[in-house]
Amino acid sequence: MASVKISDVRKNYGSVSVIHGVDIDIRHGEFVVLVGPSGCGKSTLLRMIAGLENISAGTIAIDDKVVNHLEPKDRDIAMVFQNYALYPQMTVAQNMSFALELAKVDKATIRQKVDAAAAILGLEPLLNRKPAQLSGGQRQRVAMGRAIVRNPKVFLFDEPLSNLDAKLRVAMRAEIKGLHQRLGTTVVYVTHDQIEAMTMADKIVVLNAGRIEQIGTPLELYDRPVNRFVAGFIGSPAMNFIAGTLEAGQVGLKVASGAVVAIGPYPAELAGRNVVFGIRPEHIHVVETGGLNARAEVVEPTGSETHVMVEAAGEKLVAVIRRRITIAAGDLLAIAFEDGQGHLFDAADGQRLRLT
Amino acid sequence: MTFTTLPSPQIDAGRPPRDWVLVGLWLSLVIVAVIWIAPFVFIVFTSLKSTTQVMTTSAFSPPLEPQFSNYASAWARGRFDTTFVNSAIITAIKVPLGLFISAMAAYALAKIPMRFGKLILLLILFGTMIPFQVMLAPIFTMVNGFGLIDTYPGVILPYLAFGIPYQVFILHGFFRAIPHELSEAARIDGASHFTTFRRVFLPVSLPVLAALFILDFVATWNEFAMALVLLQDREMWTLPLGLSAFQGQFSRDYGQLNAAIVMTVLPASIVYLIFQRYFVSGLMSGSVKG
Repeated sequence: MASVKISDVRKNYGSVSVIHGVDIDIRHGEFVVLVGPSGCGKSTLLRMIAGLENISAGTIAIDDKVVNHLEPKDRDIAMVFQNYALYPQMTVAQNMSFALELAKVDKATIRQKVDAAAAILGLEPLLNRKPAQLSGGQRQRVAMGRAIVRNPKVFLFDEPLSNLDAKLRVAMRAEIKGLHQRLGTTVVYVTHDQIEAMTMADKIVVLNAGRIEQIGTPLELYDRPVNRFVAGFIGSPAMNFIAGTLEAGQVGLKVASGAVVAIGPYPAELAGRNVVFGIRPEHIHVVETGGLNARAEVVEPTGSETHVMVEAAGEKLVAVIRRRITIAAGDLLAIAFEDGQGHLFDAADGQRLRLT
Repeated sequence: MTFTTLPSPQIDAGRPPRDWVLVGLWLSLVIVAVIWIAPFVFIVFTSLKSTTQVMTTSAFSPPLEPQFSNYASAWARGRFDTTFVNSAIITAIKVPLGLFISAMAAYALAKIPMRFGKLILLLILFGTMIPFQVMLAPIFTMVNGFGLIDTYPGVILPYLAFGIPYQVFILHGFFRAIPHELSEAARIDGASHFTTFRRVFLPVSLPVLAALFILDFVATWNEFAMALVLLQDREMWTLPLGLSAFQGQFSRDYGQLNAAIVMTVLPASIVYLIFQRYFVSGLMSGSVKG
């Protein structure tokens, strides 16, 4: 277990700056997920922690020891790559023991550690196979085994589940989380999949264009996104956004079509301001009376819930209905936003205006 | 309501229909094989004939009374006990050493970030562009200057200089195609560059190394022009130089000449047969998922 402190870290490739001063504090044993869209710098940041990329400015410290100039092998970290990166000519056991062998650990200890890791990951029957003879999930497990045998201070995962099919991904997600709970090792995990981030993390760091947008627990990010980017990135289906101008007298939001949409109470001083109103799909309800007139455009029943894409006041919205409902495309219905669940963002800079 | 019976598709339980494209490909393969094998058949048959038989029978008619003595005579006349050993020593040192140096250079250029790396690669590639005939005189002067004429290093070093550039070129391309995660994983595991090269890159490069080994072995084994210039003492001659002993102004012993050619070509063919089994793709499979 170890803490990782990232202070004002920057990364430039020539004149192009890709990470613009990032500060993250990772506590002992914490599972931190770096999440963001492609090209946001999350993998670069992870590679800088690993020592595979030079740090242009700032410091990275593992257990209060600055590691900027340490070789990867001297940082006491282990990394699991997206595409496994197993040594193809070596067996599973040799793949797992390679690092210990290089560290000149005696054979009996190596054997013991490999067996222990194989037992944790259910790899015992596969120890003598080559990577080519394994399925995707088994290969990813070997990659994790290779990390476990080293008993590192920090595990680094670089999108480890991206190459697996949906079902296996869910299974491996639980496996990695279970592994973390069992070993208690600090984990830094990179993904672009916000569901992975939400389900696995103790703390999520949302990155965008080389900057941190927000750091917080999964539910903090979900319930209190600090800006429109985080609000739109976290959650699936994504939050609905309606741009408009807040009317005086708290009557609602005047949208592009000229209609005024009731959004619940908001501070009087915001009247006349251009804002973006955000509402999560599960906070849009189909109501019998009152509400906003809407027309169902696409209906997607998933079994446990129904996603309904509606058009209301000239805006396209997605509602998630968690009860059995009979709606067909083209049906007219009335919708209402759940009180106290809306989010207001400044139309110009996208920052959160008020915690509603 | 009317029902119509759909004609059931004809199922031919017999042989699948003949694929004429495949037949054409096979035919052309057979023709190419015949064209390539013909000279070899000619050489083997001739090597077993006496001079009279060579003159009186068709080139492709089998020897009716095989003259195996041609081989013994050719061995003695071509001084094969000397030339064979010289060729073997030169090839045995040059080919593995050249491949090892090329592989190390290619790894460094492909995987270690360095200033002027591209320039160095270009300089090495420039070496592949110079025809060695142009360089024969300068090489002779240089080797002579070092006092290495009629020595093994005197011929091995120029061979290395001309062999390495194209090997670096091919291996560089191959190493670059190996996913960088593989070397990064090794780096995190604590491997030095040399360990990564030896334990990870060399094993996955076996097919390309085998191909280069064969090509280089054959080229070195058969090399004539440079050996002719650099090896003047008959005691240092290589096999191809030994063969020239059969082509004297007045000699017409085609049987012996062809026996000598068979003996010269045989080791290269054996090396090819041994290493061609490494020409298998898929050594990288399972390593990474693309």
